[in-house]
Amino acid sequence: MTNDQFLSLFRTMLIIRHTEEELARCHQRGLIFGACHTYVGQEAISTGVCAHLTNDDPIFSTHRGHGHALAKGMPPRELMAELFGRATGCSRGRGGSMHLFSPEIGMMGTSGIVGPCILQACGGGYSSKLMKTGRVAAAFFGDGAVNNGAFHEGLNMAAIWKLPVLFICENNQFATEVPFSYSSGSPHVGRRAANYGLPGFEVDGNDVLAVTEVAREAVARARSGGGATLIECKTYRTRAHAEGMGDFTYRTREQVDEWKLRCPIASLRQRLLTEFGIAEAQLQQVESEITALVAESRQFAESSPLPDAATAAVNVYATRKTGIPARPASNADGQNRPSSGDPSRVITFTQATHEALSEEMAVNPTIFVMGEGIGIRGGNFKTTAGLYDLYGPERLCDTPISERGFVGLAGGAAMTGTRPVIDFMFADFILDSVGEIVNQIAKMQYMSSGRLKMPVLLRGCIGIGHSAATHHSGSYYAMYAQVPGLRVVVPSNAYDAKGLLKHALRCDDPVMFLEHREILTTKCHVPTEDYEIEFGRAAIVRVGRDVTVVALARMVHLTLSVCEELERDGISVELVDPRTVSPLDTDTILQSVAKTGRLLIVDEPPAPCGFAAEIAAQVTDAGFDDLDAPIRRLTGVFTPTPYSPPLEAAVVPTAAMIADAIRSLVKE
Amino acid sequence: MSHEIVIPRLGWSMEEGTFVGWLKKDGDLVRRGDAVFELEGEKASQDIEAVDEGILRIPPTGPKPGSLLKVGAVVGYLVAAGEETLWTVPSPMTNSPPALESALPPAAAPSVRRQAREAGIAINDVAGTGPGGRVMAADVHRTRTSPQQQEPVTALPIANPRPTHGRSAVASPRARRVAAELGLNWSTLTGTGANGRIRERDVRAAAASGHSSTSAARAGQRLPLTSRRRVIAQRMVASRQQTVPVTLTTKADATNLVNLREQFKRREPLKSVGGSTPIPSYQDIITKLVAEVLKRHPRLASRWDEDAIVLPADDELHLGLAVDTEEGLLVPVIRNVGGLSLSELAGQSRRLADQARAGKLVATEMQGGVFTITNLGAFGIDAFTPVINLPEAAILGLGAIRREPVVLDDGQIAARHQLTLSLTFDHRIVDGAPAARFLQDVVNAIANPSAWLLG
Ligand SMILES: Cc1ncc(C[n+]2csc(CCOP(=O)(O)OP(=O)(O)O)c2C)c(N)n1
Ligand SMILES: [Mg+2]
Repeated sequence: MTNDQFLSLFRTMLIIRHTEEELARCHQRGLIFGACHTYVGQEAISTGVCAHLTNDDPIFSTHRGHGHALAKGMPPRELMAELFGRATGCSRGRGGSMHLFSPEIGMMGTSGIVGPCILQACGGGYSSKLMKTGRVAAAFFGDGAVNNGAFHEGLNMAAIWKLPVLFICENNQFATEVPFSYSSGSPHVGRRAANYGLPGFEVDGNDVLAVTEVAREAVARARSGGGATLIECKTYRTRAHAEGMGDFTYRTREQVDEWKLRCPIASLRQRLLTEFGIAEAQLQQVESEITALVAESRQFAESSPLPDAATAAVNVYATRKTGIPARPASNADGQNRPSSGDPSRVITFTQATHEALSEEMAVNPTIFVMGEGIGIRGGNFKTTAGLYDLYGPERLCDTPISERGFVGLAGGAAMTGTRPVIDFMFADFILDSVGEIVNQIAKMQYMSSGRLKMPVLLRGCIGIGHSAATHHSGSYYAMYAQVPGLRVVVPSNAYDAKGLLKHALRCDDPVMFLEHREILTTKCHVPTEDYEIEFGRAAIVRVGRDVTVVALARMVHLTLSVCEELERDGISVELVDPRTVSPLDTDTILQSVAKTGRLLIVDEPPAPCGFAAEIAAQVTDAGFDDLDAPIRRLTGVFTPTPYSPPLEAAVVPTAAMIADAIRSLVKE
Repeated sequence: MSHEIVIPRLGWSMEEGTFVGWLKKDGDLVRRGDAVFELEGEKASQDIEAVDEGILRIPPTGPKPGSLLKVGAVVGYLVAAGEETLWTVPSPMTNSPPALESALPPAAAPSVRRQAREAGIAINDVAGTGPGGRVMAADVHRTRTSPQQQEPVTALPIANPRPTHGRSAVASPRARRVAAELGLNWSTLTGTGANGRIRERDVRAAAASGHSSTSAARAGQRLPLTSRRRVIAQRMVASRQQTVPVTLTTKADATNLVNLREQFKRREPLKSVGGSTPIPSYQDIITKLVAEVLKRHPRLASRWDEDAIVLPADDELHLGLAVDTEEGLLVPVIRNVGGLSLSELAGQSRRLADQARAGKLVATEMQGGVFTITNLGAFGIDAFTPVINLPEAAILGLGAIRREPVVLDDGQIAARHQLTLSLTFDHRIVDGAPAARFLQDVVNAIANPSAWLLG
């Protein structure tokens, strides 16, 4: 290494130290809000690793992330402004200490949740591999994360797919106040790598030169296709877990003081003077430069404007499409569908979604599919049949049974420019990955102020029928619709399914695409020409006069089946299929209710806080004066789904129940 | 210990009032301060609050909506639980100890209510035999099968069966909206929905069959006198008989007044706690100006009091505003106009006029006036002869503001805004010349409003 490189390491560590100390001071004075976890004592690790990374190499970090951001090149003023809650902060005031974003320099974000960064780095590695960019991703995490499932699933995936990833474990011996010696059966992390088939190293995390050395090798291995490396850096944080927290209930002052003597900055300084012949004056000059830099940064932060409250809900969703050339206008109303050359072309729901996926995969090389059995086998529900032969194992990637793992990976992949499609088979399995979806994927566009796009498509089968029993029957869309940042799509027919899936594959938002298993073989006309259905546009499936029925998926079919009979009895039903639960097209529903004065919502899942409740509330709010009768809900029974046919049938609305509900509503 | 509920006196001249209706039901627990009934007094109707506490007992001979009652008439009683009222006929069961009495409507499980509903029986009419008088399924069943044989097992100490309360009409929100759009009074319609709910179709059917909502007078009809009409008549006659009215009319140049109001209109709306401040009307501005002028001519705001003429203090310049309502003329009073800012005055006049039209003025809001302003300008009237509002000394009538050719001092003819003023004063109190001087100052104030508004 050259003297300049040594000085650069010294400089970076010093920036981190001084910035942290200034932030600690500001925290004490109440100038910054919320939690503030400092990196004091651990500076050598991020400094040594990031020395080998470029702005294109993505890093993913954790709650103790200031040092990672600074080592990756974030100016201290942006970090400080963020903690001061200013519009000039790296996350525009949306994140604070635990949510630092600067994708421009490969700082893909820190997370307040322990674990996800490991999976996201795998996603960064997956993008690199798929797009052959040669980029190396790194995850920084504490000893607390290594007993979390994300560590296990992430290292295993990185191993089997040979992902270009560095897993940097900063073992500072405590997770908050819980000693690693207590929480782990083995005192060492590095040697766990062998069990995953990965190279693992244990290094003195307070020796920046040692860290730099191992990291250099690991980065080179990753760039040359040699896969991932786990590096355990043994270290110690010499300030409390977070500013303002007590420090001496679980460790002693003497222990902390002892570690302070092993200060990574002081020891490098000493070696620069004695071993590498750098002059004292040169070091002092660096020191005074950085003192000035940090003072100026604080001043910048304090004098920066606060964010405009009017922007508090901006960037929850992506605002513009990227990557795909403009398409012909969509036919979103479901009424005037484009007519193809062959109007008799009738295909199933599954064929329609298959067409959408394969057509989009053909034009968009960033799309890849992950799931269990979606490769050669072509998917449990034939969702990817034949695609493996066309696009190969990287774009049709069979996974281990690591739902949380590959969903977390998908998040990281989307953050780094690819477009994952996760095929869950059964939507019930999504629940194993909800933290990644709700806390990471759905929030990422917002937290990064729209600088990251999150085109993640999550698809799976929902619905009750054929004695699938309770772990293969769930729907849960109302739950997902409560999450800002997610789109929730529940199509009822082949035509809609194709158009909606196309839109999902072209938009930049995370989409939960839920396919009712009992209607996968239903058929309708689907044109060969390209079309797209925008989200938030309900279809009026049937025009009527007396009562509005809102339903999704299979309930649309059931309702439709009773409309003729009711019509003969003089009851004219208008059937509205919102097609997407989020966004929800309340305008169309309100317009229909304004006409009919009556509203029944039919929904397969149980009622509490559900889809029907939401529509009822919105119509009561905005359409009260149009109501000529109370709003009625007909929903599934509030119970897990039983197996035996008579039990199963007893928990779902039937056609007869729908007809009865309509008749009684008309009498109200 | 029972307390009488009587017809109170709502204003200085009130002798009798029209009973509008009960706000509580027989058997209800009434607490001090609860509104018990509605009474149409002198000019507006008012909710009458209980001054005592107890269970409301309405005698069978109690007042019917619309009855005219003398002040002091007893309309009902508040009794202690278990206490009998004078007109109570002992029931065959009074020997047995009455069950714990509830002041609430009878308790009944939802399923029981549903059964009653299905049987077309009002739950309130069913005698409950369950604990605490709770209506049980069997009670509903008995009532349904043999309504005549129903034993008076009621726990209440009155034997006469409770009046069958007609279900208060229920209409769907849509029915209400459509009724409003069609100008139809839905409360008189019969509903065809569940439980008799009035639905849109009922309203439309009524509209189609020519159902009329408004109580608009039809030719050849004989309209019974409302108490408000009576009061207006009495006071008009009294004014004619007791005063010596003289009316002066003149014209004021209102060009500056019109300009001033244009300026107010152009100002950004101000947000105040209760919403945005209204733009002062011409009448508001003139009211304010008149208050200023009255400070110089207090005699016009004085009162004839047997052996003296009582002049108002500056902070007693309470001005009445004549408001035309569907039920007749009302004169709400704005207190201490001199002490109000123009926007406060505008807010108050709007509120009082709205309340007057909604029949929601309370008596005190129509008392204490020293001078009244009445405005027929909106109807295109110029001069008229307003009638003095007793016991005041004068009333100012405002005519329409019109653009008219005016010969200016320099002989030029110009289009100016002109306003005709009609001042009626009581010659017993004021002579012609001082009244004319007052009117001259009013003319001056209207011609130069900004200067006078400075106070
Ligand atoms: C999934 C999850 N569980 C619990 C927490 C609360 N928490 C925040 S920091 C922390 C300790 C983390 O320890 P470690 O990973 O060793 O990082 P260090 O704080 O030592 O840098 C915990 C438990 C969290 N943020 N996320
Ligand atoms: Mg730790």
